[in-house]
Amino acid sequence: MAEPAARRGASLADGLASLAAVLVAFVFLFPIYWAFSQSLRNPLDTFTVAGFGIPWVNFTPTLANWIDQVGTPETLRSLANSTIVASGAAALALLLGTPAAYAVARFRFARWKNRDITIWFLSQRVLPPVATVVPFYLVMRALGLLDTHLALILVNATFVLPFVVVILRQTFLDLPLELEEAALVDGASHWGAFWRIALPLAAPTLAATGLIVFAFTWNEFLFAVALSSRNAITVPVHIAGAVDTRGVQFWFMGVRAMTAIVPPVLIALLAQRYIVRGLTLGAVKG
Amino acid sequence: MRWTGRIRFLFLAPAVLWVLAFTVFPLGYSLYLAFFKVEQKVEIKRVQQPVLDDQGRPLLEDGQPKLRNVVLRETVTTTTFIGLDNFRRLLADPQVADAVRVTLVFLLLAVPAEIGLGFLLALLFNRRIMGRSVLRAAMILPIFATPLAVGYVFFTIFYEVGGPLAWTGIPWLSNPTWALVSVALVDIWQWTPFCFLVILAALQAVPDDLYEAARIDGASNWDLLTKVLVPLLTPTFVIVLLIRLAEALKLFDIPFAMTGGGPGTATQPYSMLAFRTGLRFFDLGYASAMAYGLLAVVMVVITLFFRRMRESYG
Repeated sequence: MAEPAARRGASLADGLASLAAVLVAFVFLFPIYWAFSQSLRNPLDTFTVAGFGIPWVNFTPTLANWIDQVGTPETLRSLANSTIVASGAAALALLLGTPAAYAVARFRFARWKNRDITIWFLSQRVLPPVATVVPFYLVMRALGLLDTHLALILVNATFVLPFVVVILRQTFLDLPLELEEAALVDGASHWGAFWRIALPLAAPTLAATGLIVFAFTWNEFLFAVALSSRNAITVPVHIAGAVDTRGVQFWFMGVRAMTAIVPPVLIALLAQRYIVRGLTLGAVKG
Repeated sequence: MRWTGRIRFLFLAPAVLWVLAFTVFPLGYSLYLAFFKVEQKVEIKRVQQPVLDDQGRPLLEDGQPKLRNVVLRETVTTTTFIGLDNFRRLLADPQVADAVRVTLVFLLLAVPAEIGLGFLLALLFNRRIMGRSVLRAAMILPIFATPLAVGYVFFTIFYEVGGPLAWTGIPWLSNPTWALVSVALVDIWQWTPFCFLVILAALQAVPDDLYEAARIDGASNWDLLTKVLVPLLTPTFVIVLLIRLAEALKLFDIPFAMTGGGPGTATQPYSMLAFRTGLRFFDLGYASAMAYGLLAVVMVVITLFFRRMRESYG
């Protein structure tokens, strides 16, 4: 008779744990929720709303801030710029990183060992951006590329390349070697085995990796603010610029913060599986 | 078994050349600049230029091209070799010492809290929890929230008159000490989920037999935690610690948005000082020397990381 009692005890503890977990999740979601709540308020309601700022309960929500902000040419241009830069950087990083990942996963490099090549690629991930921002600025200025999409695409592709290498290297290692070997026996070249067999099998990971590095580029601020001034400003630079000229207008800030935060956060949900592996440089598979 | 065809170099070459051009070259250029005093001056020149008509032909006046006075602004960059002076200045600069102190205090406040909280939450989520995958997914969101936007959102949350935390009466952003704590709190909000995810992944890889065996040996929950789980997870803690250290040294966006480095310079981390020195005051040589100071520290951290992880990249 001790067994069921113990089990009941365990389920009570699990129930409490579930409750605690829900509370924890609320704490971590609160700031994003707060930005959303701010975005629905009249300027007058900004500092007077009580409690958790629940729409309809604590204040009458309005879409006025969204209508005012989302349609402005500056907002639309920064959204377009961010999309162009992040897509460009993701495409370029995949183009460069996928064959390199295949090379270290499938071939043997004797003089520079495979693992040293991998480490060399990965080590850039932890380099502080301020270490390269001055030379990048000077080079882009010399090439006349300041304030262009191209400059930001080139820089961001460099930053996200390690993610592409680390995630796809593991993906290629996990693919069954037999399929590619069979193709080689049938007379396919290594390039053919890569292009027609390994790449299609890795396509879902390729897409997820592309999304993750899109999100990283979307969030990048330091280089974006250093290299753009008017035409190529991305969403974070636009937000910072609006604050510079008009101060933090809380009601608009809610809208702007949401337009910045929502796309990368949705991507994170889509590509969850690869996040731990990517962020730990492959140290933890997750 | 691995292949050795010559084509392997073609697969690898684009990425290698890219890294040489876009990482190794800028780092080298930066090191070069660190030995120079780089000064940018705007020179104003007055010159006479011919006046052009609509088709771009010079207008004539009495048979001579018509001239007008034009003021040209030219940015002139002068570089003077000064040897190790930038590095000497770095060691003696009180602003640098201040930024180093801010960065160190921030690291000490944020990183242990992130790992400790992450571990506690991982233990919690390792139980049978209703809707675990949904709650786990919700915990990922802060990691991917745009840091600059997060900084502004927390500016509104820490707002001392009418913000949601105003009832505490704490001078979140106006007091220099609290402002640094607030910056650390935002970092803890954003990065505890990362520590949590990684530690949870490691916890879930612990085989059930191990818990059983400990139970049979009569181990209490506390023994299980301190004598089994913590030693087993130590390698994971070290990995998380090294990654968080390397990333936290880059701190920039959050204080940029939330405090602007202030009040005064109370929340100006090293990265922000180096950025301002280079791209606001255009003291490019000195900024490069600063960057190398940070790089030296980061190199130590990554070397430790990769020494530990070497085997897994074989």
